[in-house]
Amino acid sequence: MNAVSHNLTAPSAGRYANLGVGPTLLPFDIGHADYMALSEPETAFWALVRKDQLAATLADGPLMRSYREKAADFARELHALRFELKPSAVYVNPTERCNLNCTYCYIPEGMRRSGQHMAADKLIAALERLKVYFGTVVPEGKKPRIIFHGAEPLMNRGALFAAIDAFKDDFVFGVQTNATLLDDEVIAFLADRQVSIGLSLDGPLAETTDATRLTFGGKSVHGKVLRAMDALRGYASWSVIATCTEKNLDQLVPLVDLFHAREVPTCMLNAVRCTLPGARTVRPDDEALARGFIAALERTHELFRQTGRKMVVANFANILLAILAPTARRLMCDISPCGGGRAFFALAPDGGMFPCSEFIGLDEFRGGNLFTDRIEDVLESPAFRTVTERNVDRIVPCKGCAIRHFCGSPCPAEAHEMNGGMERVGAFCGFYEEQTRYAFRLIADGKADDFLWDGWDAKEGGVESSFEFALP
Amino acid sequence: MPSREMKQSVENGLVIAAELAAGQADASAKPKVIATRKRCEADGVGLSHYILMDRKAGK
Repeated sequence: MNAVSHNLTAPSAGRYANLGVGPTLLPFDIGHADYMALSEPETAFWALVRKDQLAATLADGPLMRSYREKAADFARELHALRFELKPSAVYVNPTERCNLNCTYCYIPEGMRRSGQHMAADKLIAALERLKVYFGTVVPEGKKPRIIFHGAEPLMNRGALFAAIDAFKDDFVFGVQTNATLLDDEVIAFLADRQVSIGLSLDGPLAETTDATRLTFGGKSVHGKVLRAMDALRGYASWSVIATCTEKNLDQLVPLVDLFHAREVPTCMLNAVRCTLPGARTVRPDDEALARGFIAALERTHELFRQTGRKMVVANFANILLAILAPTARRLMCDISPCGGGRAFFALAPDGGMFPCSEFIGLDEFRGGNLFTDRIEDVLESPAFRTVTERNVDRIVPCKGCAIRHFCGSPCPAEAHEMNGGMERVGAFCGFYEEQTRYAFRLIADGKADDFLWDGWDAKEGGVESSFEFALP
Repeated sequence: MPSREMKQSVENGLVIAAELAAGQADASAKPKVIATRKRCEADGVGLSHYILMDRKAGK
């Protein structure tokens, strides 16, 4: 039953919501005093409806008529986003090693302790192969992205620097680092080349960070990360990730205070990925996570109102974007299929190709080798297709959920490793429900832009309105 | 005076300031229906371990 594929062979066909081939409009509570939401999941169409207007809105009125005109366009847009993207980024692990032993890491400990580096000449050869491939799929004028990731990429700093200098005109580069090796020299090198830098910090105080992020010898790195953050102040392209676990939920508000005070432009407050067993030991409860997360979001809003300086929480901003402008998403976890193996893929130090960094410790998801296989073939390998064909429309209970295309039931690695298979629900269903309800409350109150990047919907950035409906 | 629904939200621990503020406004003055959508070229490649900041860097 939907408005997209309907066949107007009867006078009333498609006229009534939830009947025959009419649109499926699912009402759901968003916790707002005045509004409920309606969603047509198949096209990710939504409306906020005043509670006293719900029955009238579901009748064949102006909203229904306006939506019918756009339904096919919205369906095509969502289909293209979900199934027709080509890769434009690679997460490159230039080493298996790390100097930290974080509780929740998705790279197995043995690799991080004594794994291999990718030699500089091999890394350069890898980027050359990727450059040739991207020349066939990325539109002219756009640069593909290379993100050095880990393990800890700066443990192989020489190779990293050589690769960035060799391909500075060919790729947009980023580095995600634990910041312990991010000294002034490294920052100067990366900043001079406009490399985007991501750090990690889990708490406002050492005792919180130390609960999940320590060296193999048990030493704290909290102070080092703060020093790196001080050194990065004023640089436009940096961000900090905090991994939300049961160890830091009560510290998320002071943590965003710390981030804001240190002028962090963008942060992420990510629910811990529960792919490997270690992470599951600090998995937070969904409701407690939602409570701490929303409190932190509210605090960022207070800080914005008080200071005029916005600090975007990117993973929440992405939920807002999924609702307001599905194609404007920056993150490709909260969509189904996720971006793994189709919008991007991951490269291990031995040339192994995986759908996403999250799978690097799981050898059954190795789709091939960059140095011996055609990238096009690897993207179609059974290992990749296991991920790229995971479809929220087939997952129980997601397939009947009104918000399934704002959430995507992430993450396939967690579903597979923790919940028993790709056709299982993701890790934090309840948390996504609360994020989405909160996002709709902000939209209802006209506050959504306060949580998004300035200029996110600018016409000069290629964003245009495709539906604008307000019934006074 | 908070509504019954709002009291329930307080009880389950998920109430937020936005809900309270919204409850204090005159509901009948608000639009009956709000629905918007924007579009652009899709080029998101971030994942939960990384967000690429595309803004022009400078230091």
